[in-house]
Amino acid sequence: MGVLKPDYDSISRGSADAARHREKIKEAIQRNLPDIISDEAIITKSGDQLVRVPVRGIKSFRFIHRYADSVQGGFGSGESEEGKVIGRRPRPGNGRPGKPGEEPGVDYLETEIEIAELVRMMLEDIGLPNLQRKEVVEAVVTRGWKHYSIEKHGIVPRLEKKRTIKEAIKRTQILVQNLMLRSQRDEDACRQALDEANGDFDEALERLLSVNVVHPAPGAEGLSDSGALRIENSDLRFRTIEEDAQYQSNAVVIAMMDVSGSMDTMKKYLARSFYFWMTSFLRVVYKRVEIRFIAHTTTARLVDEHQFLHQGESGGTSCHSAYELATNLIDTEYPTSRWNVYPFHFSDGEDWDVDRTIHSLERMLQRGVANFGYGEIQSEHSSSVLMEAYRKKIGLEADRFENFSFFRGAGGPSPVLGVIIKGKSDIYPALRVFLHSADRKGGRLGA
Amino acid sequence: MSDLDLKKLNEADRLIREIGAQFGLDFLEQEFEVVPARKMLEILAYRLPVNFSHWSFGRDYEIERTKYEHGFSVPYEVVFNSDPARAYLMETNPLPVQILVMAHVYAHNDFIKNNRHFQITRRDMISSASEAARRFRRYEEDYGRAPVEKLVDAGMAIEWNIDPDELILPETEAQTRERLYGWSGKPPVDGGFDDLLPKKKSISTEEKRMLRRKTPPEPTMDILKYVIENSPVLSFEWQKDILSTIRGQALYFLPYRRTKIMNEGWATFWHEKIMNRLFSEGFLNAEAHGYYNLYNSRVKAHSPRTINPYLLGSALFRNIEMRWNTGRFGSAYESCSDAEKRQNWDLHLAKGREKIMEVRRTHMDWFFIDEFLNRDVVDELQLYVYQESDQGTHLDLKVGETDWKKIKQLMVQSLMNWGIPRILVMDGNYRNSSQLYLKHEFEGMPLDDEYCRKTLEHIHFLWGRPAHLETIDPESSRKVVYSVDTDGAHRVIRTE
Repeated sequence: MGVLKPDYDSISRGSADAARHREKIKEAIQRNLPDIISDEAIITKSGDQLVRVPVRGIKSFRFIHRYADSVQGGFGSGESEEGKVIGRRPRPGNGRPGKPGEEPGVDYLETEIEIAELVRMMLEDIGLPNLQRKEVVEAVVTRGWKHYSIEKHGIVPRLEKKRTIKEAIKRTQILVQNLMLRSQRDEDACRQALDEANGDFDEALERLLSVNVVHPAPGAEGLSDSGALRIENSDLRFRTIEEDAQYQSNAVVIAMMDVSGSMDTMKKYLARSFYFWMTSFLRVVYKRVEIRFIAHTTTARLVDEHQFLHQGESGGTSCHSAYELATNLIDTEYPTSRWNVYPFHFSDGEDWDVDRTIHSLERMLQRGVANFGYGEIQSEHSSSVLMEAYRKKIGLEADRFENFSFFRGAGGPSPVLGVIIKGKSDIYPALRVFLHSADRKGGRLGA
Repeated sequence: MSDLDLKKLNEADRLIREIGAQFGLDFLEQEFEVVPARKMLEILAYRLPVNFSHWSFGRDYEIERTKYEHGFSVPYEVVFNSDPARAYLMETNPLPVQILVMAHVYAHNDFIKNNRHFQITRRDMISSASEAARRFRRYEEDYGRAPVEKLVDAGMAIEWNIDPDELILPETEAQTRERLYGWSGKPPVDGGFDDLLPKKKSISTEEKRMLRRKTPPEPTMDILKYVIENSPVLSFEWQKDILSTIRGQALYFLPYRRTKIMNEGWATFWHEKIMNRLFSEGFLNAEAHGYYNLYNSRVKAHSPRTINPYLLGSALFRNIEMRWNTGRFGSAYESCSDAEKRQNWDLHLAKGREKIMEVRRTHMDWFFIDEFLNRDVVDELQLYVYQESDQGTHLDLKVGETDWKKIKQLMVQSLMNWGIPRILVMDGNYRNSSQLYLKHEFEGMPLDDEYCRKTLEHIHFLWGRPAHLETIDPESSRKVVYSVDTDGAHRVIRTE
């Protein structure tokens, strides 16, 4: 029958179905958002915009044996000896489903996705797909002067030489062309005549028509240096300038956290993951987002991210110190007229001097921050008093959002939000609450 | 590909056929089509040149494409059991590789024509699948994309839960009942060996009454067929058509699944012989030989975490040929304990060629490994079994068993029932309320828990009533019943 080379021009079925598969991956990610966003691997990976997330639900399920044989493993061939390690795989049951290789590589276990895409999915999920700037504080930043336009009049220092010379050349050329047409003489003669007449068209024409001009010497042809370019007033061009101002929307997250002994690694991790996603959300809305870290025990200090997360200290807890430092920071570096300030505070709710803390908080709220968030990370052993105190003194009301209860109110011009977080699974609802209530209550995020 | 290359391939086609025939191979007519890489990857992912749409094919396409683009694997060939046999060559492969592939394909062709498991399948699957693709597209237009996809999802979840004997001896439920009543006038198998079968035992009226009500009359492993014929909720023809198409394709591919090691081994065994002839006859030059060596060694490469069927199968056929040439079989040889004598054993039988031809006709992988895998081959290929060892954060895969007897026993076990768990429909009217009761015939290999639950969900969707699956928990040896209730809720009940 032989070998044939038929023409295949049919549309690619493969890429169409591959697109459907990618759609299914996205659906699966969307379904598992709460799990995915609280995944440690994502938020501890700094700087990388592409993250790997586990995907469930797009495998081809069928009845299969747990292992290719009854000894929990499989077959292989090649040089080896007993006990040699030929590979490894993730442990099942760690939130990363895996299955040993009957058909290796067929089941995707993970897929790569951009953080921005995850954020977009979350916003969609929350019902705010078109999060935009609304009533944000915009600062006018002057960056000096910028070139604006070209005019015929101006002052000498702003003379635009290049354009001026261009204009002069253009004008001269038009005159020469006209002379050639009227006098029926060649270009060089016309140019010379124009030069001799000091640029006067009528005089040059007269000269060309009346005088028997001697042709230039043969050797000199084409080299007539018929003078420099003549620049007239009408050729002059000047630059105009104007002030270079730009509208910028800036946001700063002031991340405050109790780092005293009672805040264990898990609690810090919960706070960290909240900060990570908060910052990612704000990046959708603001051109520039900064994050500052304040760690406090009885005293507060500005620290870098690493210290914030990894340094534990012993000692008591005075939350007012953090609020005072934050207020200072707002006054000196992030005035609320220019910045949208998002102070957040995470603690386990223990505090030595609640009255003073309330006082300091109120002072900070007077500055008019975009939204103050307080997260109390409760566990069985902590004696949490702060949320109760805030409820009473600042007047927070209990509210619910899809089975997640939280507290809401306002301290002076600043909206206040309080959430209680007990575990990983509360992170996502807490984020939803923040975005949603900020949207409803005239906060500064809007759909 | 230039016309000149195409001419060379046509020449090769003729030569290979000639050489193959001289070797005693027996071919169907063979067609080759040279296709661009994209089409080749599509054929691999879709299993057939044109097939219905499904996201899992799209996923496989993307996996194949990624592997191809990153150079992890180069697709060589696909051959279809059709008459004439149809094979595809990838345009971008170098010429010597194309010829290697053609030799390989011709050996597949011989295998497909002669192996008994391929004799019962239809040979018009290529056009049948392309018609199915058209019908499925129409269903999508008429009934919506989502319902069609959900049905295909569910159907493909149990596509391998079929019964290959169905093709040899199709039987309706009524016929099965008659057979069980002892009424069936027709002998069960052609050939007049009835006298060897157990005598039909007479059954009581009571038993007959039970049988009349019982569905299925006897446990069946063809879950897909049972669902198509008996589901209380599949009422439309298009639904049955989709599931029947999936089942038809699975039946078509089942022989490939059951003879993977033999089929690829056979093709590799012969392409080496044919290629050697092409080189010795001067059809291919030294440069081509370099290509050939490179690609041939890739085909036969060891793989640490799975069995390479090309490698194992060809080694086995070589071993069988050698043994039957020298007479190294039978009790005289087996009982000989003198190592030197065994080493030099040669009865000059020259029956090797005949034997491998016979084996390729009659066997499938399960019996092939059971009968012919021996110490020599295990040692030659350094086969091993690896085991998972828990390291806390991950699992290490460690080489465990290297004893050839143990390896053989495990491999045979894994090839049983074409590698999938044997699950039977026990009762389609469980609790007298149309619930479906399935039972896993436990053979020492536990089911994968997650896959089991999700598959049962698919069955529940197809059945529309509660579905149950009984298996054994290997740790406690207790009976476990997975259930999906009417509302879709899962339950697992463990009993003593």
